[in-house]
Amino acid sequence: MPQTLPDPRSVALVATALLPLLPISAQANDLPMNPKLSVILDGVYYDDSLDGSGDAMLGETAGIFAAHGHDHEDEGDHGGHEHGLEQGFNLRHTEVVLSGSVDGMFDARLNVAISDEGDVELEEAFVASTGLPAGLRIKAGKFYSGIGYANEKHPHDWDFVDQNIAYRTLLGDHGLSDTGLQLTWLPAWDHYTLFGIEAFQGDKNERLGTEAEHADDLPDRDKAPRLWTAFAKWSTDLGHDHALQLGASAAFFRSHQEMHHHGEMDEHGLDGDARLYGVDAVYKYDSGQAYGQGDWRISGEYLWVDKNLEVAHHESNQGVIGEARDFSEDGLYVQATYGIAPRWEVGLRYDAVGFTNEKRGPRPAVNTDYDESERWTAAATWHISETSRIRAQVAQVSGAFDDHREDYTQFYLQYQMSLGAHGAHNF
Amino acid sequence: MLKRLLITLAFLLPGSLHAADLRVVATTNSMGALATAVGGERISLTVLAPPDRDAHFLQARPSMMRDLRRADLVIAVGAELEAGWLPVAVKRAANRDIQPGQPGHFEAAEHLELLDVGESGAGHTHASGNPHFNLDPRRMRTLLPALAERLADIDPAGASVYEANAAAAVARVEARMSEWQTKVAEAPGAVFHHADTRYLMDWLDVPTLGYLEPVPGVPPTARHIRELAESLDGRDGVIIHAPYYSESGPGKLADALGWPIEQRHTEPSEPTLAGWLDLIDGWVDALAPRN
Repeated sequence: MPQTLPDPRSVALVATALLPLLPISAQANDLPMNPKLSVILDGVYYDDSLDGSGDAMLGETAGIFAAHGHDHEDEGDHGGHEHGLEQGFNLRHTEVVLSGSVDGMFDARLNVAISDEGDVELEEAFVASTGLPAGLRIKAGKFYSGIGYANEKHPHDWDFVDQNIAYRTLLGDHGLSDTGLQLTWLPAWDHYTLFGIEAFQGDKNERLGTEAEHADDLPDRDKAPRLWTAFAKWSTDLGHDHALQLGASAAFFRSHQEMHHHGEMDEHGLDGDARLYGVDAVYKYDSGQAYGQGDWRISGEYLWVDKNLEVAHHESNQGVIGEARDFSEDGLYVQATYGIAPRWEVGLRYDAVGFTNEKRGPRPAVNTDYDESERWTAAATWHISETSRIRAQVAQVSGAFDDHREDYTQFYLQYQMSLGAHGAHNF
Repeated sequence: MLKRLLITLAFLLPGSLHAADLRVVATTNSMGALATAVGGERISLTVLAPPDRDAHFLQARPSMMRDLRRADLVIAVGAELEAGWLPVAVKRAANRDIQPGQPGHFEAAEHLELLDVGESGAGHTHASGNPHFNLDPRRMRTLLPALAERLADIDPAGASVYEANAAAAVARVEARMSEWQTKVAEAPGAVFHHADTRYLMDWLDVPTLGYLEPVPGVPPTARHIRELAESLDGRDGVIIHAPYYSESGPGKLADALGWPIEQRHTEPSEPTLAGWLDLIDGWVDALAPRN
């Protein structure tokens, strides 16, 4: 549907810095100048066998990100919006997406998330080149990192109501998203092969690449970029029916800081660096039938995080300052959807964290091993049309928490409706 | 740092490949048929959408990006037919020659006057017009010289070949047009699955008696089939649908009305002009009155 909207050029001011890199060859005839605008409305009815507290608990499973109770210093940065679903009716983020071509050499995209209380958060605002030679592309701004497979996907593109717990625990509900620069290279090879590197500011992430608040006693952080990533994707041509893509990613976080037990006697701060490694695989089968019947989508990822930190500040015990604290934790998900009837899809997912889940220090007293948490999820989605869907989902959680395990069942009922057109989705 | 990386990456590039042929990627076999008819021996063609699939519902796949990465020209239907996959595939192919606005990006719809422009209704509709003109000999004929011109822009050495090929193809299409129209002059009309026959029926001047989809993009419902059967009771006609749609809706309607069912693809099985002429032959036969 045609939208009359303000010129998107202002979005692209950042991009002018990149202009000297570009050969000026764009011609401006027949360009789709009008940006596309879409609004995605997303509501969930949620309940579980713990009177509704089970979803928030998934972000706090035992391990190196929740070992000290609440160590998410960055929560204040999130404008107070809360990702956990509450018992009953939830209006999830309303996504507003504005995308289009700036001038034939740049595309721009803006993703804004509005919370149920009206708080606005910028999810993505980036410009991407379309005019570089040799299969190169540059993206600048705030965007979802190209690592992994699920990381670039927005909630309206998920196969299940919620983020898998591997991402949610190790990276945060949004995955890895930051402000920086991405360079990708797609060589003209017989097999699709994509290489990418990214440099990010590295201080406003949810789980990794964070700056501790009240960090007066921690060392100054390294200069940005503090977060570097690299990824590669590869695919072989299996004809029109089948498609397979494999990927590998790594992320290096310099100057990662955490503050634990803030405001208490044993408040302490850690400083150091962290690494993330991941592998991913996606397989899709197109049955050729109408409305998605008989189609398969299968994907899986394994993520491993390693943090090498030092105690840089302790409120009551100066003796431990300088001691090493090494943390590692992993997570994975495997999920499949199948088009059981025209416009009807069923999905099954297994997601887990903490098969490796440990803290190590120079003294045995520091060493801790945490349990794993896992979950099975089943979902049924009715794609009423291309722009509206209703989804029912149940999940069985076997979770490890601070000092106990908890098994519980989750239930979700969701609608997602899109008003207006937005850009096509990637593979 | 970035500059150093760019230099390193540039160094890694293989020497510029010099293929004799112009590498053309078409989204559908109909667009491919135009390409082979005009390009002849001077082009090598890859088609992204298989002919037995609904081009609306494809997904951007890595193999498409691989093909688009090496293309000199992409020929798309346009009018949002490929909106769900082509823009992202073209963007991610990182090939500046085929980006929208470049000579290497040919959208057929931009060279035509479309029907149903600005119609925005419920379900899957295209505000920029109905994109299913591939079954319309008049519009396909118009596209042949337009494509010859574009190919000549990209490959000036072949300009005269492209022009001659296009003229020959136009003649082949025109030679069949009156015969097709004569065959269906007495046709009773037809029910289709989706409005992808809009141009064909407009050109042949045969009545469209209804669509199996209650709303474009939404599968047939029992109630809609019942209503169709009631409104068409006592009439003569034929039900024509693509083989990838379920047969249960058409079957019920055929039972109620005593009409024949014909299955026809909306794309030629081969991306050649001969394949496309066969396709139109098949549709004309399906529509023609039975004795």
